Amino acid sequence: MTSVFWTWVAAFFTLSILSFLYKDNPFYKFAEHIYVGSSAAFYVLQLWVFDVYPKLVGGFQYKVGIEKWILIIPAFLSVLMLTRFIKPISWLSRWAIAFTVGMAAGLGVTGLLQGFLVPQVKATFLPFYVPGTSFWNSFYLSVNNILIVLGTVATIFYFYFSREHKGALGTISRAGITFIMIAFGASFGYTVMARVSLLIGRMYFLIHDWLHLA
Amino acid sequence: MREFFEKLGKIDRRIIYLIVAIGVITPILFKARLPIKPLPEVRQAFDYIESLPESSAVLISIDYDASSMPELQPMLYALLRHVFRKNLRVIMLGHWPLGVPLGQIALEDVAKEMGKKYGVDYCFLGYRPGIAAVMLNLGKEIRSVFASDYKYTPLDSLPMMRNIHNYNDIALLIGLEAGSVGDFWVQFAQARFNQKIILGSTAVITPDIYPYLQAGQIVGLIGGLRGAADYETLVNTPGPASIGMYSQTVVHILVVALIILGNVGYFVLRRRK
Amino acid sequence: MKREIPLAITFISGFLLIVALFIPHKPFGTLQETFNDWYIIVSGFTMILGIDSLLLHNWNKVKRRKSDWPYALALIMSFFLTFLWGLYSIVYEPTHNPFAPTASFLKYFYKSIFVPLQATMFALLAFFIASAAYRAFRAREINSTLLLFSAALVMLGRVPEGEQAAPYVFGIIFLLFAVYFFIEASLLTAGFLKYLYIALGVLLLAAIYPVGKLLLAYLPKIADWIMNIPQLAAKRGILIGVALGGIAMSLRIIVGIERTYLK
Repeated sequence: MTSVFWTWVAAFFTLSILSFLYKDNPFYKFAEHIYVGSSAAFYVLQLWVFDVYPKLVGGFQYKVGIEKWILIIPAFLSVLMLTRFIKPISWLSRWAIAFTVGMAAGLGVTGLLQGFLVPQVKATFLPFYVPGTSFWNSFYLSVNNILIVLGTVATIFYFYFSREHKGALGTISRAGITFIMIAFGASFGYTVMARVSLLIGRMYFLIHDWLHLA
Repeated sequence: MREFFEKLGKIDRRIIYLIVAIGVITPILFKARLPIKPLPEVRQAFDYIESLPESSAVLISIDYDASSMPELQPMLYALLRHVFRKNLRVIMLGHWPLGVPLGQIALEDVAKEMGKKYGVDYCFLGYRPGIAAVMLNLGKEIRSVFASDYKYTPLDSLPMMRNIHNYNDIALLIGLEAGSVGDFWVQFAQARFNQKIILGSTAVITPDIYPYLQAGQIVGLIGGLRGAADYETLVNTPGPASIGMYSQTVVHILVVALIILGNVGYFVLRRRK
Repeated sequence: MKREIPLAITFISGFLLIVALFIPHKPFGTLQETFNDWYIIVSGFTMILGIDSLLLHNWNKVKRRKSDWPYALALIMSFFLTFLWGLYSIVYEPTHNPFAPTASFLKYFYKSIFVPLQATMFALLAFFIASAAYRAFRAREINSTLLLFSAALVMLGRVPEGEQAAPYVFGIIFLLFAVYFFIEASLLTAGFLKYLYIALGVLLLAAIYPVGKLLLAYLPKIADWIMNIPQLAAKRGILIGVALGGIAMSLRIIVGIERTYLK
C-alpha cells in the first residue's frame, strides 16, 4: 500500500513537470520550486554525512598525534569559508576560497599536462602508411591515419586567431572547419540520442511502474 | 501555395511535442523490440571484464545523478550483473553527491538478486568532495580518503578490503559519467597510476571520449542508452535500455524527418524571395 | 594584507602541486597528500555557499508578497522539510545515515520525490530539441549542410535497424535537392551554370538507388567511421585547445595575474 502511494507521488511530480509542455502553470512552478529547495537541503545533509562527520569528527576521534591536531587547519579554513554569510567579516572567506582555487589550479595544470596534452599529442603521431591484409585494407587504414593527423592539426589551426585566415593558413582553417562541422553534426546526433533517452526513461516509469500498462 | 510552405515551416511546437510523445510511448506500449548488434567499443569493454581473474577488485564510480539516470542506471545494472557473475569484488564510490544514492540502490538490488554478501563481495564507500584530490589520494591509500564505509564501519573490518590499499590492488575502474569527472579519472588515475579504465557515459559526452579510446587511455567505452542496450545484450539480461531502443529509433527518424520538413519550407520561401 | 595573504595561499597551494608532480618524494609528496586531504574537507563547504542568498531572496519575496510568493514559500518549506527529514534519519534511525538503503529519507523522499523531479526536468529537453531541430536547423551553406548530413548519418547509424530507414530518408533528401537544382536550372539562360545544375540534379536522382543500397549495407560502419576518424580528429583538436587554455588560466591564477576569485 505504501509503495503504491509513493508511486503515485512520483507520478504526480512527473506529470507536474511535463505539464509545462502545454504551458507554464501552477503545478509546474510548484514542482520546480520544491526541486530547488530540496536540492539545497540535500547538499547540506551530504556535507555532514560524507564530509564533516567522517573526515573531521571521525578524524579527531580516531587519529592520533600530529595527524589529529593538523586537522585544525582544514577545520579553521572551513569555518572561514562560512564567514561569507556574515557581512562584516566575509573578507576572511577569501583565505579559504584562495586555498580551494589554488589547489584546483595546481591540479588543473598537472592533470591537463600529464593526463591529457602529452598522451593526446603522442596519440596523434600516427604512421601515414599502415601495412594491411590487402592493398585496399592498407589504403583504408593509411587514409584514416592521415585524416586523423590532418584533422587534428587543421582544427587547432582554425582556432589560431592571432593572424588573419588568408593564404596557407586560410586553406588549413577551411579544412579545419570542415572537420569541426562533421564533429558538431555527430555531437548533435548524440545529443538527440541523450535527450530522447531521458524522455524514454520517464515514459517507461509512467507506463510500466505507475499505470502497469506494459 | 506560399501560405502552405509558410505553415509548413511554422507548425505549432505543441503538435511536435505530441508527435514526439506518441513516437516514444507507442513502442513501449506494444512491447516492440529490435535486434541489437553491440558496437565494437562496447564489446571491447565487455571482453576486458571477461578477461579479469576471479576475485579481482573492480572500483565503480557513480558520477551522475537523476538527470542522466535513464541512460546510466540500466548500464550500471548490466555491469553489476556481469561483474558479480564473474565473482569479481565491487567497491563503489561517487563524485556527484545527488547521484551517489542511485548507485547504492542498484548495488543493493543486484547484490541481493545474485546472493552477494556486503563486506565480502561488495562494499559502498560513499562520496567525498574534491574529485581530483580524491583520485590522487586513492592512489596512495584508500583509507586516507575513506577511513570507513557509508555505515561508518572501518574499512579494515570489511574482509574484502583488507588487502586493497590503492590502485595497484584494483584491476579495473569503471566510471559512469555524465560530466567531466571521467576526464579527471583519465588525467589522474590512468596517467599517474596506470589504472585500467572503462568509461560509461551519457550520449552527450560520448563523442568527447573517443580521443581517449583511440589513445589507449581507456580500455572500453559504453556510450548512451545504445551502449547500455548493447551491454544488456552481451550480458544476456535485457532491461530498460533494450526496451527503449525501438522508441529511440522511431524518434531519431522523426527528428531527421522534421529537419527535412523545416528545410523544405525554408528553401521554397527563400526561392520565392 | 586583505589581498596579499589569499594570493600567497593560492601560490603556495598551486605551486606545491606542480613541484610534487616532478618531485613526488618527501616532503613534497607528503605535503601534497596532506593538502589534498584538506582540499577534500574544505571544498565540500563551497557547495553550500549559495544557500544563504537562495533562502534570503525567496524569504524577501514572501515578506513583501511579491508575485509568485506562494512558490517562494514552497521553496523555503521544502528546504526545511527535507533538512528536517534528513536530520531525523541521522538522529533517530538505526543507521544514523539518511543515505543508507533502509533509511526512510532514501526510500521515500529521494526515490519518490527528488529523483522524479530531477529526471523529468531534463526529460523535457527531448521535446525542445525536436522542436529546435525543426525550426532552426537550416542547410544555408555547404558547412551547415555537411553538419546536417553528419547528424543524420550518426542519428540513423547509431540506432538499431536505423539502416532500414536510411535509404528512404536519404532518398527523399536527394530527390528534394534534385528538384531544387532543376528549378534553379530552369530559371537560368543557357550556360555552364545551367548545365551544371542539370547534371547535379540528374546525378542526385541516379544516386538514390546505389546510395540507398550502400546505406542499407554499411550505415552502422559509416557511423563508426565518422565517430572514430573525422569526429575524433576535430574533438581532439578542440580539446587540445581547451587544455592549453586551461593550463594558461591555471598558471595565471597561481602566479596571481588572475584575481577575479577574490571579489
